[in-house]
Amino acid sequence: MYTKSWHSVGPTLDECIKCNICTSYCPVSAVTDLFPGPKYEGPQAQRFREIGQPLSPDHSVDYCSGCRVCNEVCPTGVKIAEINARARAQIMAEEGIPLRNRLLGRNETLGKVGSIAPALANFGLHNSFSRLMAEKVMGIAREAPLPHWSTEGTFGDWFKKTQAVRLKSDKKVVYYHGCATMYYEPFIGKAAVAVFEHNGYEVLVPPQNCCGLPLLSNGEFDAAAGYHQNNINKLLVYAQAGLAIVGTSTSCTLTLKEEAPELLDMHSEHANTLTMATWDIFEWLRERHNQGELKTDFREINMVLPYHAPCQYRAHRVGKPAQDILALIPGIDLRESQARCCGIAGTYGYKKEKYQIAMDVGAELFDFVADQGEDVEMTACDSETCRWQLEHGTNLPSRHPIEFLAAAYGLYDLEKRDLVQGA
Amino acid sequence: MSDLLIIGAGLSGLMAAYTAVKAGMRVNVAAKGLGSLHWCAGTIDVLGYTAEQPNVPVKRPLEQISALVETHPQHPYALLTNEHLAQTLATFVALSKDIGVPYGGANNPGDNLLLPSPAGAARPAYLAPKGQLAGDLSRTEPMLIVGFEGLRDFYPELIAENLTKQGYSARAAFLPKKLATNRRDFTNVQLAQGMDSKEQRALLGPALKKLVRPGERIGLPAILGIKAHATILAELERETGAPIFEIPTLPPSVPGVRLYTALRSYLQGLGVHLTAGMEVLTAKTVAPNGVPGTVQWVESATSARPLKLLADKYLLATGGILGGGFNSEMNGRVWETIFDLPLTVPQERADWFQASFLSPQGHPVFSGGVSVNKAFQPAAENGQPLYANLWAAGKLLAHSDAIQERSTEGIAIATGVAAAQALSS
Amino acid sequence: MHKLETEVLVIGGGATGTGVAWDAALRGFKVILVERRDLTHGTSGRYHGLLHSGGRYAVKDPHGAAECIAENQILRVTHAHCIEDTSGFFVVLPEDEGEYPDKFKAGCDAVGIPCTEISVAEALRREPLLNPRISRVFEVPDGSSDSFLAAHATAQAARNAGAQILTYHEVTNLLLAGSESDRRVAGAMVHNVVTGEDMEIHADITINAAGAWTGKLAAMAGIEITIMPSKGTMVAMNHRLVNTVVNRCKVPSDGDIIVPSHTVCVIGTTSINVPDPEPLRIEPWEVQKMLEEGDKMVPGFAQARVLRAWAGVRPLFQDTYTSGKGRDVTRKLALLDHKEREGVSGFLTITGGKWTTFRLMAEATVDDICRHLGTERPCTTATTPVPGAEQGHYWLGHRLHDIEENRLQSELVCECELVTRTMVENAARRNPLLTLDDLRRDVRLGKGPCQGGFCTYRAAGILHEMKKAGSWEVDMSDEAGSTAKWEVAYLQSPAHNLTSDADGHQSSEQPANTADAFNPNLLLRDFLQERWKGVTPILWGRQLKQERLDELIYMSLMNVDHLPDKGLASPVTDFYHFDTRPTVEEVADV
Repeated sequence: MYTKSWHSVGPTLDECIKCNICTSYCPVSAVTDLFPGPKYEGPQAQRFREIGQPLSPDHSVDYCSGCRVCNEVCPTGVKIAEINARARAQIMAEEGIPLRNRLLGRNETLGKVGSIAPALANFGLHNSFSRLMAEKVMGIAREAPLPHWSTEGTFGDWFKKTQAVRLKSDKKVVYYHGCATMYYEPFIGKAAVAVFEHNGYEVLVPPQNCCGLPLLSNGEFDAAAGYHQNNINKLLVYAQAGLAIVGTSTSCTLTLKEEAPELLDMHSEHANTLTMATWDIFEWLRERHNQGELKTDFREINMVLPYHAPCQYRAHRVGKPAQDILALIPGIDLRESQARCCGIAGTYGYKKEKYQIAMDVGAELFDFVADQGEDVEMTACDSETCRWQLEHGTNLPSRHPIEFLAAAYGLYDLEKRDLVQGA
Repeated sequence: MSDLLIIGAGLSGLMAAYTAVKAGMRVNVAAKGLGSLHWCAGTIDVLGYTAEQPNVPVKRPLEQISALVETHPQHPYALLTNEHLAQTLATFVALSKDIGVPYGGANNPGDNLLLPSPAGAARPAYLAPKGQLAGDLSRTEPMLIVGFEGLRDFYPELIAENLTKQGYSARAAFLPKKLATNRRDFTNVQLAQGMDSKEQRALLGPALKKLVRPGERIGLPAILGIKAHATILAELERETGAPIFEIPTLPPSVPGVRLYTALRSYLQGLGVHLTAGMEVLTAKTVAPNGVPGTVQWVESATSARPLKLLADKYLLATGGILGGGFNSEMNGRVWETIFDLPLTVPQERADWFQASFLSPQGHPVFSGGVSVNKAFQPAAENGQPLYANLWAAGKLLAHSDAIQERSTEGIAIATGVAAAQALSS
Repeated sequence: MHKLETEVLVIGGGATGTGVAWDAALRGFKVILVERRDLTHGTSGRYHGLLHSGGRYAVKDPHGAAECIAENQILRVTHAHCIEDTSGFFVVLPEDEGEYPDKFKAGCDAVGIPCTEISVAEALRREPLLNPRISRVFEVPDGSSDSFLAAHATAQAARNAGAQILTYHEVTNLLLAGSESDRRVAGAMVHNVVTGEDMEIHADITINAAGAWTGKLAAMAGIEITIMPSKGTMVAMNHRLVNTVVNRCKVPSDGDIIVPSHTVCVIGTTSINVPDPEPLRIEPWEVQKMLEEGDKMVPGFAQARVLRAWAGVRPLFQDTYTSGKGRDVTRKLALLDHKEREGVSGFLTITGGKWTTFRLMAEATVDDICRHLGTERPCTTATTPVPGAEQGHYWLGHRLHDIEENRLQSELVCECELVTRTMVENAARRNPLLTLDDLRRDVRLGKGPCQGGFCTYRAAGILHEMKKAGSWEVDMSDEAGSTAKWEVAYLQSPAHNLTSDADGHQSSEQPANTADAFNPNLLLRDFLQERWKGVTPILWGRQLKQERLDELIYMSLMNVDHLPDKGLASPVTDFYHFDTRPTVEEVADV
């Protein structure tokens, strides 16, 4: 067991009553028997694991996608996904991490490097020869929806350049953008800033680094601990000052809140302070709304909008705040997907041996979108990799709910994915 | 903010949600995980056995309950009149049709069905899903119990032998595993999901037809599809010319999953917000003038700050020891985990159990629970509600061991519906 | 009446008895072993699973300590697969005696127990849940042993060498011969518990290896042996909170050792004089004490999920009675030559000792047999690995690894403990089976968190299918020649049980069961009750919730309490109905 303290999640295996509800809802074991299921890999196998065994007892745990549906449905509160994540980390610690997984774990580095010459990087990556080579040499599935580097500059560039027109206010909020917004989708960040400012908040974007989730998912715990500690160091002063640290990527904010501290046994007072200050953006907006502070001067957006709450979003366990807020926008016919998982699960669906599994898992969601009819123009989802997977599986554009909100405020253009002039 | 927050998504919570939303309330359901429907046989057990006659299955449960509540005036069934109880069950039957998982009862209305259990015992049940009805042992057709090689949760030989010992006509047969699945590793639910595919089940009907003799009915493990269940039943009956019935087996329960999935969809269609992964930990209550106090909100665990869930009214349907609504510790203390409601459970471990696991008296620790007044509100001895806006329903109620007497679903439906009626009026 | 003739009759199928049968058979004696229930039904099946390094005796009993370390090293070779090389810690808590740790180290050094002091930081790195307030840690070669597998492997070794192993054969009387001045035990009258048949076994020499029942057996020959049954209660936790044996470094007392054993860890034990070896009650204060003591070594121990409690009896032999607690009486092995002591020849009693020294006890016994029978045959057990030993030491993940490598997930019958269907079938064919409890000992069925919730039904169903399919033929032959099929030493390995023995006859000296004794409804009810018996002393919190689910399965869903054949009972049905419910707390007079 990769455990450093009594607070490790290992003991939640004691909660398991072997009922197999988790296995019945696991989207991965539903489509492949390479993954024997969460109960088997989690609380059951954990009793057979310890550090220093002559052989690793099980590699099938690597097929766990970390979607956390098991946690959600477990009637007794076993933290199955965490047990699996630790088991995977233990295997990695003993056997070493494949180069591909190291690469996929370093989203921030990849983002930075590509951003030096984004057009070239895009050209270099997104052609069939490169993708074929990447699959053959690195095991990165050639069809998997890899993102494009932003050719309009990073989010950080934009934020710096536009400092002069940014709102200054006594009400401040810290924006945690995450790697995807920074390097691939700065428009998400622009929409978020627009929404914050419209509601009278000054946005601070202090130094911050990758949350480390791809490292955690690939079992590189030591590196991930470094990332998380750096974020604690950089953001602590804001958290201590009572500022909310708000993010648009549900995966990142979940990692800051819970996944990093849990998996890495980082429960210091400072780590806890950061946890308690972190918000998903719609969680934060809903709270503003509950306090009567949210501006509701919305324009109509007339569309049938299939919405998928990412499994990492449900793992926040704060309900579905994006739905609650989107429901306030007149004209939106919001259709909530009941699908368990889009399949991509962070870096999982990019791996050659898991790509088809990911697509089979996502079929439930793709079918749902198709069932919503011909009029559907786009879908909505809070997590970046899920959006890319949704686009890949439905051939429809996918947007972050914050883009809809910014558009409803008249500040953002949903088609062009940019702020309206003068915003 | 909602009108009603129901804590717990078992059958009582879901029936309460249905009743309340039909009465025009805005209803939210918060549950720690998925509910107990996933463990049970999928039938509606109203009353199976009495303590006085532990070896004889109850023949007519509603009539028996009239006698039961005379001798056990605190039993949860005593909170409703017999007519009211019948109405709640009728509500369920009508709802089951609306959601596409129709339930029915014995040919002689008011009788219990006697259905074959996965061990071959005759288990009394009041209502069963259509797919199990043809298994009623009061029917006369001889039974062919068919299993699949390699299915570890179903033993047709055992079932057939035990049925035969009880005087029923039954024989067993096996089909190759590939007629059930191509997977190497599976649970019953995954088998059933696989059966939704026409290709997977293509050969099943013809194979059964080869096995069955004229006049027989065919019993199969409960793996006949989730979404396509009704279609599969009809198909198989047509292809074999024989009545088909399912026998539920070890958890996770496929009939339970069908009912849960259909109910949840239907409720969501009516506007109920049902969210799993919401573990309600504590409640904020005030009692400035003593009893009754008021529940201001409850808090659920999240990945960071606890989440306040607000409603006008709250219904506790957290299921007792099995559902997680009660916890217990070594020194004998048993407590209700959210509101710390007083429990009738003995607080000494020496008083908890019988010496025999299968004791017909049942284990006292399990029959204790929350005491409610006639309005389904947790109450003091004199009937005064402890909180003006708190109600309770389901297996957590005191004075019955629902598993022992085989009344789990009956109590869930009756008290879930009645409590919601009480709180919405 | 059926009569069997042999040279050596061993009474008792625990570690000692099977060890004697093995040693004697290897030395070329004709041996029959009889055991009233299943192998290891007695103390050998109810202890905490420790392979002693001898550290616990280093201060008070150097001779015993020396025996332990010598046997420890031998068993690691002869019974490699029955042993997990967990290593052991002796930890010094703030409240432990001041001088003892140094005395401990000196004691270990003096008798040759490898003992290294390691830093507390190192100990915490290896065992993160240990109490951070410990001040010193010593490492010794303790191990964790599987006495069930060991007894099977030893018995198989004996059988391979020509012995006959008869389980479910109860001695009803000793056969006495000779005159007043020349009394002799000539063998025993034995009752086949399953078939009801009686038989006589005539032997040149009879060995009383009956453990806690030694006194009762000797009394059948008019010999008085004072065996003080000292009950020890043990509590198993749902998972391994430690992976190393952890001892308190102080004068041995209650609850000062945690042994990781397969998938659980066991905290033990108490020491209470009881009048009889069976049945045994477990008192609430004992459970509480175990958890409190565990908490001192591993903070938070008492909040972990408790899985099961059981009690075993140390058969403490007293030549002269002294008052005081059981623990103070010697644990030495005692070989009683009744010809010398009471003038009864043909009868030896071997008693006392601990599991770790069973081979040594057997060696001493068979040396004495040689003397009595007038031959000189050297002992070879110390250098003769038993079947299965070539697999090497047990390691925790081995079943998981086997299942993974061979993709046996859908084969699992007991998912908690990773028991496959083929393991169950082979165990049933190879080892005489009366109850599912026997299967539990063979393959660990029902020993995990759900305590038989799912696997009881599956096992009953599978055995019933086997019976119906006729793939369970009864071989009444008394020949020990069909040894190939009695491969009980490999029962616990999924990889060694990839194919079913369906083609072979069940090879054993007795029918596994009659139509009545084996009945799936009876198997179900008996095992459910057997599991209940072991959990009532520890049922609260999470395990209570689990038990309620098990109730839902067996009553609400299966309706097991209304299956036919209610009136049936097996020879062990009553044993399982022993009431182990907690009583009102009493404080022990310590």
